[in-house]
This record gives sequence, structure tokens and C-alpha cells, in this order.
Amino acid sequence: MPKYYHDDPRWADIDALPQDDGGPYPLAAIAYTDEYSEAMSYLRAVMARNEMSERVLELTEHIIDMNPAHYTVWLYRAKVLSATNSDLSREIAWLNPTALRHLKNYQIWHHRQTIIDKLDSHVGEADFIATMLEQDAKNYHVWSYRQWLVKRFALFPGKGGADGEWDGEKELKWTEGMIEADVRNNSAWNHRWFVVLGGREGETVSDDFIKREIDYAQAAIRKAPQNQSSWNYLRGIVRHAKLPVSALKDFALEFATLESSDQVHSCHALDLLAEIYAAEENTWDEAAKAFELLATKYDPVRAQYWKYRQGLLRQGGVVA
Amino acid sequence: MATVVPVAGDESKFQHSKHINFWRRCLKTFLPHQYTSNDANRMTFAFFILSALDLLGNLQAALSAEERQGHIEWVYHCQLPEGGFRAFPGADFGSQRNDENKIWDPAHIPATFFALLVLALLGDDLQRVKRREILIWLNRMQRPDGSFGETLREDGRIEGGNDTRFGYMSTGIRWILRGNVEGSVDGVPDINVDKFVECIRNSETYDGGISETKFHEAHAGFTSCAVSALSFIDRLPLHEKASPQPDDYLHGISNLPLTLHWLASRQTLTLDEEDTIDKFADETDSAATCHDSRSFVKLRSYPSKAGELSFKWQPTSHFELQWVGINGRANKIADTCYAYWVCVPLKVLDHLELVDQRPIRRWLLDKTQHLVGGFGKLPGDAPDIYHAYLGLAVLAMFGEPGLKDFDAALCMSNDAKRYIESLLWRREIVGNEEVSKEGERAI
Repeated sequence: MPKYYHDDPRWADIDALPQDDGGPYPLAAIAYTDEYSEAMSYLRAVMARNEMSERVLELTEHIIDMNPAHYTVWLYRAKVLSATNSDLSREIAWLNPTALRHLKNYQIWHHRQTIIDKLDSHVGEADFIATMLEQDAKNYHVWSYRQWLVKRFALFPGKGGADGEWDGEKELKWTEGMIEADVRNNSAWNHRWFVVLGGREGETVSDDFIKREIDYAQAAIRKAPQNQSSWNYLRGIVRHAKLPVSALKDFALEFATLESSDQVHSCHALDLLAEIYAAEENTWDEAAKAFELLATKYDPVRAQYWKYRQGLLRQGGVVA
Repeated sequence: MATVVPVAGDESKFQHSKHINFWRRCLKTFLPHQYTSNDANRMTFAFFILSALDLLGNLQAALSAEERQGHIEWVYHCQLPEGGFRAFPGADFGSQRNDENKIWDPAHIPATFFALLVLALLGDDLQRVKRREILIWLNRMQRPDGSFGETLREDGRIEGGNDTRFGYMSTGIRWILRGNVEGSVDGVPDINVDKFVECIRNSETYDGGISETKFHEAHAGFTSCAVSALSFIDRLPLHEKASPQPDDYLHGISNLPLTLHWLASRQTLTLDEEDTIDKFADETDSAATCHDSRSFVKLRSYPSKAGELSFKWQPTSHFELQWVGINGRANKIADTCYAYWVCVPLKVLDHLELVDQRPIRRWLLDKTQHLVGGFGKLPGDAPDIYHAYLGLAVLAMFGEPGLKDFDAALCMSNDAKRYIESLLWRREIVGNEEVSKEGERAI
């Protein structure tokens, strides 16, 4: 059911402000519905007089449903909420279904942060995120928002902020659950990186920590050897710990060997082996062979790239 | 060993005239009401429409002198009295605009970037652009952490994300208005270039991509914006081919080989939703599924059920490479727009040769190009302006016959770029040395 304002007595005092589309030759002009055109005309009218009222909240809800990317309607709404001393938990209750209708919108997340920041409570947010991730377990905005919550409420493992309901240890467990549910969910892997390292900036990491993270990634790789997310995580941790890449040689050999080229269980293992061999001049022949196998047999999708890496060996072996 | 490809790839055809029809419709008729949720992106869409026709070599023919001038006036109608542009006429209060309400109709970074490009495409000389005001505003749009936002609030607070999209467009505005000259120009101080480079370096991820902000997930869109921005400010990583001398400047992309690895890894055989399901939960579905190159890899349970089923009908071992798609994040499905977001940084980094353009081109032409012209997001999807432009841009980058040369960082034809470089007021700021004579003529 379209909703109109011109015949609504509550809006009778407003002179709608129609759109001036900027002359006879507008670009990217849209065939607006009457409903949208009228609602926007009322929005301009109330914005123009900086009206801060309950009915503006209603109008902005209407606009947001049709055009959530309107960049000032959200800021206007936030100001009205504050000017009218509105109940912010009601705002969150409205935002929940709205976010589900507009999964790819940027503005809504910023607005949510503003509200949650003022409420100074994350109660209900974990459930909301769970609902969002059921729709799309890799929704970029949702994962970004979760990082914001972890920072805002200090939910890093071993960093205090424990309140029983949700703390750093639980955050790490939850992340592990997400990786378990889909070991190829790169957003979940990235979130683990954030959870374990985001609260420790500038600190040196302990050997125990490095071992735990390496063990974790290796166990996931054994479950699914052909998964770039877990390999990237493993290599990232080794690089972060400033260990030589050759520390992973034995592990890589579990999945790939040059001796018997039909014993390759993971092109990512072969990629890693190639890198290990490329790092030492006396094993460049092996590196070249590994790049050749990747290009021609095990990862031909990236043949051009592997040929390039092979070519670099001749120029002195620049590696990642 | 030569392998005969069962489907002849050379049959893939770029439907030049259908793309012209698609974009002419976008230019000449109202966009359907489904575009309402993009009302606030009208300036961006105006750019896509005009630039697509320019790439197709059809912009001149598409507009009469009167229409061209009329569109120029429309863009200037979106310029704000205090400088900068609004993104759509819907934000305009007309004669009711005043100091109290103008906060709801602010200058907008993406709109300002695209308005300048649209004016250039229309052959305007940008003389009526409040250039000095924009440059002053640009300084106020940079945060202490080096990032840029979208709009400015009354109290000077910067709204919008702090990701590289706004940094790309802000440095793009700077490049258009003052080239990559560092320091004050015409008494207006420069943005903090070093701080911005630092901000990009902070967004680098452990796997070599660039994310929205520190610790977020690597994403091709943010990677592309970051790399193009670095090219606008002349802070790209020093190229390994040129045996570079280190200089005193801070450069972006701290581990170029890792970033190239990440970009090359975005090529995928996961081309539609069905491909994303690991049906047998053993990683051994055919190569036409999500876990790329599995069919080439010997797994413990090989030959798997799925592998057997899918190979039974395939006469060659290289059929998989008929089509290669590109995704935007690890373990995600291919999507037309990510061909753009991945190929742009490769091109700007002078490494487009790291991907095989032929199967990517076939994927775009056979799978996401639409019957009526334009491109959709996924195979079979209806075309939309965003994917249609980015798909076209990739083909232009690949040198498709019938399309103009493309400047990847600026996202438009080299003709249009040279036109901007030829503008007299700009040459006075930048100096003449790099300006090509070809730019003298209007495009």
C-alpha cells in the first residue's frame, strides 16, 4: 500500500517542496513513483525548516525504506532522535528488520554504531548479528560491525571487559564455531586474526601464541587441504612471527611433493613449497619445477602468474 | 601438447551495437523506478552513462550541441554555492536553502569527483567550477588518521566511512584540479599526502589485499581504490622491473609480491551459485565448482564420485579454462564488477599480464553480457548500469576492438584524460611537460 501525505491532516501544515530536476536536460533521471516523489517533497520541506519532531521520524523511515543510500536522511534522523529524546532501544528494534531488507547498505551500519554507542550496551547485538549471518555468512558490513563491537566493548581475549554474557574468550569460541560451520568462510578467518591480534597492537607475541595459531590453521588445512583461507592465515601468522617460510616445509610436504607429481593434494601446498625453494638459491631448480607444475597441471587458472614467478627466479628470486 | 578446446572461444562476440543501444536508452529515457534506491548516486550514474558511450566511440553522435550544453548546465545546477557538488537534485532546497538547512545538502566527495569527470566528458573547460573552494574543502575532508570522508557536518565532523573509496575520489579530485604537484597551490595548502599513504598501509591485510580499514577483510574494491589513489599521488610501490632507486617518499603497498599473489588468486572457476556448493563435502567436485583446481589435484579419495561424474562427459582436460571469472574476496563467487576491481590495480601496477585475459573475456562475453546489451552481475542476470559499465571497462582495458583506450586509475578513456590534462588553467598549475598534444582537441 503506497503511503501519501497530502491527504493526511497531520501533515496539512506543510507545503511540500517539489524536486527541481535541474533544467530540461537532467542526467540519470529516474521514473520515480508518485509515492517516492511526494515523500521526498515532504522530506525537503521539513529538512528546510529543520523540524525536529516525531512525525519526521516516521517520514524518514518511509524514505529510508525506498532509498536507504540517501546520505543525509540518516544524519537528519539521528539528530531528530536526539532532539526528541527518543527511546533508542526502539530505534534498534526498527533497525533490525530494516537491515535485513537492505543487506548491502553502508549508512545503516554507521547509524547503528551511533545508537549503540549512546546506549552503551551490546545487549541483543550478538543475536542480531547471528540473524544477519544466517542470510549471508560473508556479509562484509556485518563482520565490520562485529569488529566495531569488539573494540567498543573491549571484547578481546585476555583483555578484561568480561561480563559473562559476552567476553573475549567467548568471542574467540564463537569465531571458531563460524570457521567450523564453513572452513572456507574467509570473513571468519579474518575475524580470528582480528580477535587474536587486534587487542595486542605493538606487543610481541609469545611462542605459545604462535604455536597455538599455527596448530589451529594446520588442523583446518588437514580437514580441507584445497582451501586458500586457511593457508593464507597460516602463512600470515608465520610472517607476523617473523619466522622463515621454511619453517612450514615439513607441513607443506604432507600435501605435495615434487618427487612424485601425482601426489599433490593441494595446490596451495605446492605454492608454499615453491616459495620455500625460491627463497634459497641452491633450490631454485626445485622452485622452477614447482611453478611449472602449478602452471601446467595443478593450478592452470593462474598459469600466467606462475610463469611470471618462474621468470623471477632467473632475475634473482623475488618472492612474497 | 596441443589440446583442442571443445567450445571455440573465438566465437565469443562483443555486441558493440547492442551496448550502444543499452547506453543510449540510459541516456535518453527515464531509468526505471527500480533505480530509486540509487537516487543518491545519480551523478555517479551520469558518469557511467556518458563514459560508456565515450568508450564505445558514440558520445559525439549521441548528443546534439543543445543537449550537450543542457547536460553541462545540469551538472552546474548540482554545484553548491560554497563549492563542491551534491549527488542528486533531490537534495536541493532551491530558494529555501539557507545557512541553517544547508547541512542537509552538503558537498559530497563522490559527486564532486564524478561531476568533474562528467563535465570533462561533455567538453566543458571546468572554468565555472569553484576549484579553489573545492581544494580548501578537500583539506577539511581529511581526518587526522589520513583517511577521507564523504560529507562534512556543521560542527566540522567528517561523515562517511574511512575506507579507500573516499580516499580514491578525494585524491582523484586533487589530481584533476592540481595534478600531483605537492605543497601549496594558489595559496591553498595540500592534503597530508604522507598521512594518507600511511592510512592505506594500515589497511593492508595478512594475505596481501587491502581492506576497508585496519583488520577488516581484504576486498578487491578497496584494493583497487587504494592502488589508483596511490597512482594519483605518485606513491605507487617502486616497480621491480625498473631496478628502482629508493627515494625519500613513503610509498603504499608495503609487500608488492604478496599483493600481486592476492590479486592473481582472485581468478576463479566458481561462476554461479551452484558452483559454490561442495556437494559431496570432499573437496573433489569437478573444477567447475567452488574449490578451484581441485580436479587437477590428487586428493586422498581420488577419483571422487563428483570428479568421475563431471569428467565422464568431458573430452579434454582443459575444458575448465574456457571461462575464468574473478571474485572480490577469497572463496567467493565470480562477479562482473570484480573483474574490474581486480584488473584495475593489476593494470595500474603494470602487471595486467599476470592474468590470462582470454578466458576472462570469454566469461564476460558468454556468461554475463546480456542479450539487450550491458552486463549483469552473474550469468543470466539482467544488466544494470553499474555492472554494465565495469564490464565494458574491463574489455576496454583488455584492448577490445571498437572500444577506446582506457585509463584504469581515472576509470575513463585516455582521450578524456588527455582532455583534462590539456585544460589551460590546469597546465598553468601542473606545467606542460607531460601534456600530450592530442589532448588539445575536444573529445
